[in-house]
Amino acid sequence: MRARVSPLAWIAVALGAAIVVAPLLWTVLLSLKANSELMRDSGTAFSAPYTLENYHSILNGNMVFRWLLNSVIVSTGTTLGVLALCSLAGYGFARLEFPFRRTLFVFVLLGLAIPEQAVILPQHRLFADLGLHNSYPGLILPGLAGPFGVFFMTQYFRGIPRDLDEAAMLDGASRLTTFWKVLLPLTMPAQATLGVFTFLASWNSYWWPLISATRGNMFTLTVGLASAQMNYAQTSGLGFLMAQAVFASIPIFIVYILFQKHIVRAMSGAAVR
Amino acid sequence: MRGRALLILAAAAATLFGCSPGQKKTEIALQRFFGECGAVYGQTVDLAKAEGECGIVTALINKFNAENPDIHVEVNIVAWPGYTQLASQMAAKDPPDLVTMHQGVISDYSSRGLLEPMEPILRHAGIDPAGFTAASRLGVTKGGTIYGLPWDTIGGLFHVNTKLFAQAGLMKGGKPVFPNSPEELLAQARQFKAATGKPYFVQSQLNDAATHVRNLYTYLIAQDATIFPDPKHIQLQTAEARRVLALFKQLNAEGLSTVNQDNPAAIATFLNGGGGVFPTGTWMIGGFDQEAQTPGRPLYQSYAVFPYPRLWGHAASFVDGHSWVMPKRKRTPEQRAAIVRLLAFMAAHNFDWSRTGHIPASQAVVDSAEFKALPHRGDIAPLAQIGRPLPGYVRRQGAIEGLLGEDLGAAVTGQKPIDQALADAERRVDELLEQTD
Repeated sequence: MRARVSPLAWIAVALGAAIVVAPLLWTVLLSLKANSELMRDSGTAFSAPYTLENYHSILNGNMVFRWLLNSVIVSTGTTLGVLALCSLAGYGFARLEFPFRRTLFVFVLLGLAIPEQAVILPQHRLFADLGLHNSYPGLILPGLAGPFGVFFMTQYFRGIPRDLDEAAMLDGASRLTTFWKVLLPLTMPAQATLGVFTFLASWNSYWWPLISATRGNMFTLTVGLASAQMNYAQTSGLGFLMAQAVFASIPIFIVYILFQKHIVRAMSGAAVR
Repeated sequence: MRGRALLILAAAAATLFGCSPGQKKTEIALQRFFGECGAVYGQTVDLAKAEGECGIVTALINKFNAENPDIHVEVNIVAWPGYTQLASQMAAKDPPDLVTMHQGVISDYSSRGLLEPMEPILRHAGIDPAGFTAASRLGVTKGGTIYGLPWDTIGGLFHVNTKLFAQAGLMKGGKPVFPNSPEELLAQARQFKAATGKPYFVQSQLNDAATHVRNLYTYLIAQDATIFPDPKHIQLQTAEARRVLALFKQLNAEGLSTVNQDNPAAIATFLNGGGGVFPTGTWMIGGFDQEAQTPGRPLYQSYAVFPYPRLWGHAASFVDGHSWVMPKRKRTPEQRAAIVRLLAFMAAHNFDWSRTGHIPASQAVVDSAEFKALPHRGDIAPLAQIGRPLPGYVRRQGAIEGLLGEDLGAAVTGQKPIDQALADAERRVDELLEQTD
């Protein structure tokens, strides 16, 4: 039986939804208007005529599909890498006994407190010395060092009863088999959550791709679309700017639709037991 | 006759074999901002068919590539203004061969030895720096050395709604009547408001540091005030600076200017006939003129544009400009030769670039009938002479603009007393400059 929701709660939720949806709706409407019309009055976004001219300009850009492909490769590569590394690290911290385990775990957690800006110079220098700028590894590797993912997976593994490991071992399973065949399948909700978060963060990432991918053919979508803007985009190219925002968010929207259940679970904290 | 035929044959053979598909082209990397418009202008080589900064620069490079089959200019378009990426490329020791750079930014790079002095290259390209406008020459000269090929001058202008000016009785001989002193400005602004019911000024005062800084620098230069006495200090607690801020504060306080508008809002207000003068840059001429050609629009046949009027001292205007600079890196002799040809080509097409609305860097183009025949260009041409950049030793001009803009904005909108705003701005800029090595 469904719980009865009070009208007040309905109003509050509707109001909250309207606050969230309004700017998105406005963005979409602006993207469907001619730039010259918006320069005169952005309020015309709420009335016809509408046009697909801005989307046409984006899709006819020389490199836009290349940037899209780059973003897919980088985001997918980063996500798969993070899932593999964080699962292994999480299992290690949760289940294995080794010297300095706690110290190392704290050390990993310290990474959460270090902002990207603090390490950007040595990181850039390192990648320059390795000749990795303007390459997929150059865009993917920095994203793999994810202390949040390690912490998240460690907590999840800790929540799985040790009895399962012991039962598997009694049946003669090795540690690797226990990890691979018994425990890993049980972490799928956490994997999905971490995967979605990592993919979203990587897709929206701007700063590192901006300074690492300095050649047009290696731009990710965020950097590429920014480069396509004219200097006065917010005034004389507002419709185009908004169309870019909508275009860049379409893949994310698709990811959200596909993984909606996991995202909601993650946001509500239900994925961590 | 026979010799001539042989010569033609030899030239044809050279063209055929010299530029065969198998020939290795010399590649140079050019990095620019101005946006991407390959969808519209990707194949355009006819410069007359290109419009706007992006269109014209794209068509220019297309044309150069088409006319120089032994060279390929690889274009990298970066997000405006592109200096984060350039710094990153320099750190990785892989900068491009040619880069678009604002003249006010050059000193940040030249002072660290990251740019090539350009005089020898310009000489090879047959470009005489004496032919640059005064504003352009000053803009690319840092410590006595030229570090770029100037391409234009950009600066603030008074964009005028002449219909409203006429309504206010501020037109004479078909031209707007501008003030010659702060008192005259206030009187005309009051007269304008009384006649039209609208503010004299449309100003972008929110999130627009450039507006406040442009106003201050322009009228400090006009008063011959020393803004940066040395590379580490700014001088703002002066009578000259107080005068300028007091005027703009009074304009706001008397309702003679729009307030609480950012740049898009101010543009929309001006386009819809919401005020008499919009002080903004050269880059808006194209958009405003288009409105002036559109029947039914408030600006229809009612638009004029002029440099800032003289209010104190002498006619002056704070300006910047776009230039082409060469980051230091290893290059082959062929690449150097290709760059020389490209720079010569860009300089030769300075008129085409001036269709963007910016003032050309070449004095000959500024003086040409061709340039003056473009809409409003005769009226704004004096900017090439009265325009002054900041001294070449001033670094971090972009960051300084951001800091100054906050305090100047607070002063003219009445959020901070003028003296406090100037003291705060001076302190903050000095702290920033102190950090420069």
